[in-house]
This record gives sequence, C-alpha cells and structure tokens, in this order.
Amino acid sequence: MARKGSLQSKSKSPPAFDFLFILTSSRFKPDKEGETIQYTGLSQSAIREMALCTELSHANVVQLEEIILEDKCIFMVFEYTEHDLLQIIHHHTQPQRHAIPAPMVRSIMFQLLNGLLYLHTNWVLHRDLKPANILVTSSGAIRIGDLGLARLFYKPLNSLFSGDKVVVTIWYRAPELLMGSRHYTPAVDMWAIGCIFAELLSLRPIFKGEEAKMDSKKTVPFQRNQMMKIVEILGLPRKESWPGLASMPEYSQLQSLVLHRQPSHFHRGSNLEGWYQSCLKNGGYSSTSSAGTPGSDGFDLLSRMLEYDPSKRMTAEQALEHPYFTNGGPISGNCFEGIEGKYPHRRVTQDDNDIRTGSLPGTKRSGLPDDSLMRASKRLKE
Amino acid sequence: MAANYWASTQRRHWLFSREKLVDIREGLREKDKVAHSQFPLPDQRLLNIYFNQQLIKLGKRMSTRQQAIATAQVYLKRYYTKNEIRQTSPYLVLTTAFYLACKMEECPQHIRFVVGEARGLWPEFITPDVAKLGECEFALISEMSSQLIVHHPYRTLSELQTELSLTSDEIALAWSVINDHYLTDLPLLHPPHVIAIMAIIVAVVFKPTHPSAYPGTGQSALASSMRDGGGMQMLAALSDKTGSGPPPKIQKLVGWLAESEVDIRAVIECTQELVSLYEVWEQYSEKSCKELLGRMVKSKNLDK
Repeated sequence: MARKGSLQSKSKSPPAFDFLFILTSSRFKPDKEGETIQYTGLSQSAIREMALCTELSHANVVQLEEIILEDKCIFMVFEYTEHDLLQIIHHHTQPQRHAIPAPMVRSIMFQLLNGLLYLHTNWVLHRDLKPANILVTSSGAIRIGDLGLARLFYKPLNSLFSGDKVVVTIWYRAPELLMGSRHYTPAVDMWAIGCIFAELLSLRPIFKGEEAKMDSKKTVPFQRNQMMKIVEILGLPRKESWPGLASMPEYSQLQSLVLHRQPSHFHRGSNLEGWYQSCLKNGGYSSTSSAGTPGSDGFDLLSRMLEYDPSKRMTAEQALEHPYFTNGGPISGNCFEGIEGKYPHRRVTQDDNDIRTGSLPGTKRSGLPDDSLMRASKRLKE
Repeated sequence: MAANYWASTQRRHWLFSREKLVDIREGLREKDKVAHSQFPLPDQRLLNIYFNQQLIKLGKRMSTRQQAIATAQVYLKRYYTKNEIRQTSPYLVLTTAFYLACKMEECPQHIRFVVGEARGLWPEFITPDVAKLGECEFALISEMSSQLIVHHPYRTLSELQTELSLTSDEIALAWSVINDHYLTDLPLLHPPHVIAIMAIIVAVVFKPTHPSAYPGTGQSALASSMRDGGGMQMLAALSDKTGSGPPPKIQKLVGWLAESEVDIRAVIECTQELVSLYEVWEQYSEKSCKELLGRMVKSKNLDK
C-alpha cells in the first residue's frame, strides 16, 4: 500500500542528504510500544497540503520533493532550506540589535510578494504567513512554506469561516478576521505580509498581542488584546473609511473596547508614520548609510498593506508595481547579495514543537476530530 | 495549477489517449484472467451508472454538492486505472472516494458519519470499523500520487454563460450533460473545457422539448433528440458557418467556436461518446449490477 523506498533508506544515506520531514500524524505516532496503530482518516489540512504542494511549482514557493506514505504515516519531503525569516530576524537582535540591510529587506519582500501573487492567481489562500513560515535558501531565495492552512478559494461550496473557524497566527491576523468576518479574501495574506515587512524593519512583531483562548463551548472569542495592539498604532477603524465595519459580527465588541479604555488611544488617528520613522531611526536606516533605507516609498507600501478595509488593501500584484520596488535600481533574486557575514543555519532538531517553528496557539488546524493529525514538524538530519 | 489546467497534474498525469486506456485495462485484465472469466461484470458505463447512483444515495443524507460527487467519480476512475476492480471491494472504494472528495472539495464529513451512512446503504459490504476506510484512503491517495485537485467542466460552463448568452434552461441542461459525462471515460480522455463546450453545444443545438427533473426521462429525451438526425444537424452547423439554416443562437455559437482554438473534432467525439452512453443506458439494470458485484465481493471475500 505505501510506497517503498523510504524514510529508513533515506536516513541511512550519507550526511549530504538534508531533508525536511513533516510528519503528519500524532495519534499514530509510534511512541507507545505495542499499541496497535489504527488508521483514523487523514485531516483535511493534511489532504490540502499534500494536494496543493503536489500541484504548485514556483521559485518562491517551497518545493515538494516527494510524499511518502508508509506505516500509516505521511512524510512530505521538501527541498532543504538553510534559513527562515524568523531565524534571520532573531540573528539581527544578537548580540545587540543591528538592522537588516535595506536592499536585503527589499529583495525579501519582492520575492515574497512574487510567491504570494502566484498563490493568489492560482486561487490559493495561504492563511498562515509569518516569519517562521518564510524559508530562505543559502543562495538567498525566498520560499513560502507551510501550506497546512492553505486552501483553494475559487467559488467555495461553503463559506470560508465555516471551514476553519480560526486562521492565521494571532500577531499576523487581519482586522477583518479579528472582527469575525465570515467571508474573507486574499487581503488577509496581504495584511500578514505588511506585518512581516514591519517586523523585518523593526526586528519585533508590530502587533504583539495576547491571544484569548477558546472557551469550552468552542466559541471563537473576540481578540480584544490583539485588536488593541493594532488600534494603538493605526488608530481606531472607522465606518467612514471602512464601510463594512458596522456589519461585522464583533462590531459591538469593538465599541465596548472604546468605552472601557482610556480614550487617549482612540481620538487620534493613525500613528503608523511615527512608528515607521522611529523604526528607521532606531535601525540606523538612512539615505547616507551604507545599508541604505526603505525611505518614504517603504512607508507608503507599508501603510497600503496595513489598510483596515480589506477591499482597499493593496493586492500582491499592485504591491509588486509599487515605487518601493520600481524606484531604486534592480532587485536581486538573492537576498544575501552584497551581505557580508553568514547567517547561522537553522537549528535542526528531532522534535521541534516549540514556539519558534511550531504553530502558535490558536493556529492549530481545526480539522475534523476524526483525524488526530498534528504537525510534529520534524526535521531529521543524519 | 489550481487555476491553470495546462500546468495541472490532471493534464500531465491523468489525461490518456483512447489507445493508452485500452492498453492499461488490457494489462489489468491479463494479470487476473481467471477472475475475469469467473466474474463477468456489466459494461463499464453501466457500472459507472450504478456507482454514480450509489454515490448520490450516499451523499443525499449529507446533502453533498454535485461537485464533490463528481470529484469522487474521477477518483474512482483514476484508481481503477491502477487497480483491477475484481481485486477490490467497490463499495469500500466508492465510499472512500466520496469521503476523500468531500475533504478536497471543502465540504468535509466525519469519517464515522460516512461509514455509518455507507453501512446503512450496504450493510453486507461495509464493516463498522472506520480503520478500513482510513486504510483505503491511504491506498487511494497513494495510487493517485497525492494528485487530488480535479478540474471540472462546471467552471468553464459558468465562465462562458455570459459570453455565449446562455439561458438558465440551457445552463441547466448543459450542467446535466456534464453530470452524465462522468459515467463515461471522457474525464480521462479530454480536458474539462472541451467537455464543457460539448455540453453547451448539446444544450443549445438539441434542446429537448421538456428537460425533465427525473434523470431517466431527461436522458432519453435528450438521447432521442440527438439520435433523430440531430447529430447531422450539428455537424452541418459546425462545418457550414455561412449556411442560412441555423438560428442566430447557433450561428453565434458556431462563430465563437471558429474563433476559439477549441479542438472541434474532440468536441464531436465527446458528443458521440455521450450518444452511445444514452444508448447503452437503455440496458441498465440496477439489480444486475448489484448482483454481479455482490457475487464477486462475497465469493472473493473482498470485503474483509
């Protein structure tokens, strides 16, 4: 039934082989000796990821090498990538903060948007974009990875919300999702890209909220704290500039937020520009420095991606034509070009379930309970 | 990929020539000649009609959408290009194809619910053990090399609706023609847009007088209207675009076809395939399919 030639033989291969194994199983994780392992049906997210990765092919999307079905487990073997954005950002905070050079940020963003445009034109929503899921090869190519929450959105038979109640890791979750929108669009991915852009520049998540847990009745709570973090920088969303706002399920929650907090946050407008300028200053980005600066074009791009109203938010296609990319010379397909010094390789672990590469709470795939599949995101290096 | 049929695994791996398909089936037959002579089965299309009816029954209580049923039918076809039907339990395979298709088409059903429903329909053939279905799902995914995204003609149909100013009756008829094409090998032989155009031509040119809500009668109305010189009419219309005969709607369609780069010969071939489906349909007997399959599964212990 399962294909032969497999995990065992691969792990005996010489050390030159580096594979990323994603083990999509948990209940039948063979850790309990003697327990008979049962087929329980695969999770919808495993099915989606396998089907999508099999179909997709783009320089900025992770390349699937092979899927091995064996011993009631599925191993998705991907091309090995040495780095990811989370690790790169982390590297720049140590031993002290030193900003990522502006041309590198520009190359990362361009490649990232290219990959996203490919996904969106193929009717694929990623729904879990965050630095940990953006892989980088040693030659500086960006690969969008982890399609475990991705799905097709061409004329869905059911509303997107009814399929998965919670999508996108909390810090990167778009306001329309926080407001409980039943229908959403590729704009949710663009919000996350905006957050990633901000994080590349400031080396910290721009909206680092705390997630409210789902209660025992499995109702999805209003993410008050996360919404507050956004409001603190962007000001309160307004019906005048976001006409759909008042009909959002959590609109009354948003209003109660206004009543219960001190009003200082709410009466001013967006402070994104202030945030951006101090970020450039702290990072030592300047037009006279050797590292260069994302400048005012960078701000304009960021503000269009962090637009409250999803229908006005910039699309991947529009972003690629933004002056941030069209001005200021060619963009390298190698984000490390001209960069001195090396980034450390990703930590290769046997069981990597910590917060760095594992899913943050609230992003657990809400598949049907028939499967017990959870990503163990296992990386083996022999 | 998902939007691009030309780059899809469906086009690259699941599109066969007629000869190739014959070879594949001949190969499967060669491997198990004994079973073939011991367990004769009805014409593949009659079996497909039976499977389709079973899938619809299974989907009914879960109010499954047609697209998921269509995907399940394609999975069945793909699976049986790799496996001899006489070595499988068709009821298990079809339940599994349904379960998997529902997940892929984003209308998932719980495995226990699917098994429960299937047991309600075919108690002799489906065990209460969900692991059986899980195991079969593994086999199905493996045989299909995880290539689970299926491009359907329904999409082309709705995309062309405005361009060809199709009426809702014509759309409904074309839709049911597309439903019917899953009963043939056409999904393995032609790209979805060719099928969609065939369905549109059939709907616009033949237009049976009363498209019925009941599948049986609808088909025979369509079949007879296609047989009674209709085919000739269409072929004439296609080849003679200056002719004064056909009504404006058909002229418009013919004009559109001439400008598009659609393979007209493939479209005509599909139409003929459909006509012969409707002819063979007259021999269909649910009882005989059920008995032959039942005998095969029981005597070979395939349900174990």
